[in-house]
Amino acid sequence: MFNGFKGVLYRELSVFRTRAKKQILASSLSPLLYLIAFGWSFGRGVSVDGLPYITFLIPGLITMSSLNQSYGIAQELNITRFYFHVFDEFLIAPISHTEIVLGEAAYGMFKGLLSTILIFVYALLFGVKLIFNPVFFMAILLHTFLFAALGITIAMIVRDHGTQATVNTFVITPMIFLSGTFFPVDKLPYIFKMIVYALPLTYSTKVIRASLTGGEINPLFVFLIVMFAALFFYTALWAVRRVEA
Amino acid sequence: MKNSAGDKDRTVLSVEGLVKKYGKKKALQGVSFKIAGGDFLGLLGPNGAGKTTTIKILTGLTKLTEGGVYYYGKDFSGHPREAKRFIGMVPQQSNLDRDLTAFQNLYLHTILHGIPKPLRMEKIDEALEFAGLKEYRDRQVKTFSGGMRRRLVIVRALLHEPRILFLDEPTVGLDPQIRRTLWELILKVNQVKGTAILLTTHYIEEAEKLCGRVLIINRGRIIAEGPPDDLKKDIGRYVLEIFLENRIEEHFFPTREEALEGCDHSCKVREVTLEDVFLKLTGRRINV
Repeated sequence: MFNGFKGVLYRELSVFRTRAKKQILASSLSPLLYLIAFGWSFGRGVSVDGLPYITFLIPGLITMSSLNQSYGIAQELNITRFYFHVFDEFLIAPISHTEIVLGEAAYGMFKGLLSTILIFVYALLFGVKLIFNPVFFMAILLHTFLFAALGITIAMIVRDHGTQATVNTFVITPMIFLSGTFFPVDKLPYIFKMIVYALPLTYSTKVIRASLTGGEINPLFVFLIVMFAALFFYTALWAVRRVEA
Repeated sequence: MKNSAGDKDRTVLSVEGLVKKYGKKKALQGVSFKIAGGDFLGLLGPNGAGKTTTIKILTGLTKLTEGGVYYYGKDFSGHPREAKRFIGMVPQQSNLDRDLTAFQNLYLHTILHGIPKPLRMEKIDEALEFAGLKEYRDRQVKTFSGGMRRRLVIVRALLHEPRILFLDEPTVGLDPQIRRTLWELILKVNQVKGTAILLTTHYIEEAEKLCGRVLIINRGRIIAEGPPDDLKKDIGRYVLEIFLENRIEEHFFPTREEALEGCDHSCKVREVTLEDVFLKLTGRRINV
C-alpha cells in the first residue's frame, strides 16, 4: 500500500538531501533582502492596516517564499522528465497516478514548510511579534499543497523548459507581486482588484496574515482556498494521466 | 533461480494489430506478434522504423491508437497495474538518478514495485553482484561509465522479477568490448532467470548473436519473422557480390560452389547476414 507515494517521496527527498545546503541557503536570501529593503529601511515608522509594516510584511513573505518553494518543484519535475527521464520510472511502476501526484505534492509542501520556518526565524531576529492561531497551520498546509499541485500541473503540460519559464514570467511573478504580499490589495485600482481576486494567493495571504496578526479570519476565504486546492489537485491528476514519455 | 513462474511456452505477451498515429503520420501500421515464456525476440529495423514506439506502448509509456496488448491473456489497458508487475524496462537513455548512489537507485525501485521490506536488501545485493557492481554500491551514479550505468539499469529492471524484459537499443553508443560483456549479461538473464526478452536493435550482429527469433520491422510494419538462420536460408546461404563500375550487384545462392560458378573477375563470395535479408526485403541498408 502507498508504494507509489512512498517511492516518489523517497526519490525526491534523497535528491533534495544531496543539495539541501545550497537550496536552503539560496532560498533564504531573497526574503532577507525584502525584509531589509522594505521592512527595515523603507517601512520603518510606516503602518499598514493598523500594523507596523514589518509585521504586515512577514506573513506576505511567508506566502511568497513558500509559494516559490512549493510551486518550484515544477522546475525540478521538468528536469526529471526531460533531462534525466526519471519520471519514466514512476510511469512504468505499478502505482497509481494519484500516488504520483500526492508524493510530488508532499515534497512541494515539505519545501514550502521549510521556507516558512526560515521566515519565522527572521521574524524572531527582527523582533516581530506573531500570534499563532490553529487556522494558520491548516492554511499553510492548504497553501503549499495547492501551489505544489499547480506546479505539477504546469510541469506536466509544458513541452520544454522554455514554456515553463514563460509561465513563470507571465503568471507566477505577477501573482506574487499583486496578491497582497507587499501591500493590501484594497489599495489597487479596480481593474487590478478584479484580477487579483481571481488568484488563490490573494486568499491564502489574507487568511495567513489574519491568523498570524490577530486579525479577523473570513471563512469564505478559507473555503475558497480549499476549492483552489481541490481544483489544482484535479488538474494535476488530469495532467499526469495524459502525460506520455 | 529458475523460471520461477513456470511459464515456459506459455504466451506471456500477445500484441494484436498495433497502430500508432502521431497526427496524420502513422508510426505503426498494424504490428502483431506473440512472446512465450523464456523467448528471446529481437525487433530489428532502421532508425525511425517504430521500434521504440512499440516498446513504449507495450510498457504503458505511450498510448496506442488502435489494436490490443495482452499480458497472460489480460488486456493491458484494462489492468495496467497488474500487468506492470510482469514488465521490466530498460529504456534507450539511462533514466537513473545521477545524484543518487547505485543503492539508492535500486532501493527506489524496490519501493515502487512493492517488494517487501525484509527482502529488499537481499535483492539489491544480489542485483549488484549480478551486475558486477558490488564495490560501487554507495557511489553516485554520475561517477559511473556508460557500460556500468547500462548494467545497473538492467539489474534494476529485474529487481521485481519481471516475466518479460524490454531492452531498447541496450548497447547503442558503447564500445565493442563493453558491448560483449553486456551481451553476456543479457543472455544470462534469459537463460539463468528464464526471463522472456524483447530487444530492439539496429545492430545486425546483436540480433544474430542473441535472438532466437527476429522480427524485421520497417516503416511501422513487420516485413519478416523467424529465427535468424531461417531468414537467411530463405534468401540463400551465400552471396555473390559482383563489383561493377558504379555499383555492387548481389546474387544469392544456397551453396558456396554455386555462388563461385557465377564469379568470373572482380567479385567476392561471402555468407549471408541478416543485413542482406533486410536489404533484400526493403531495398535499404539498416546502418545508414
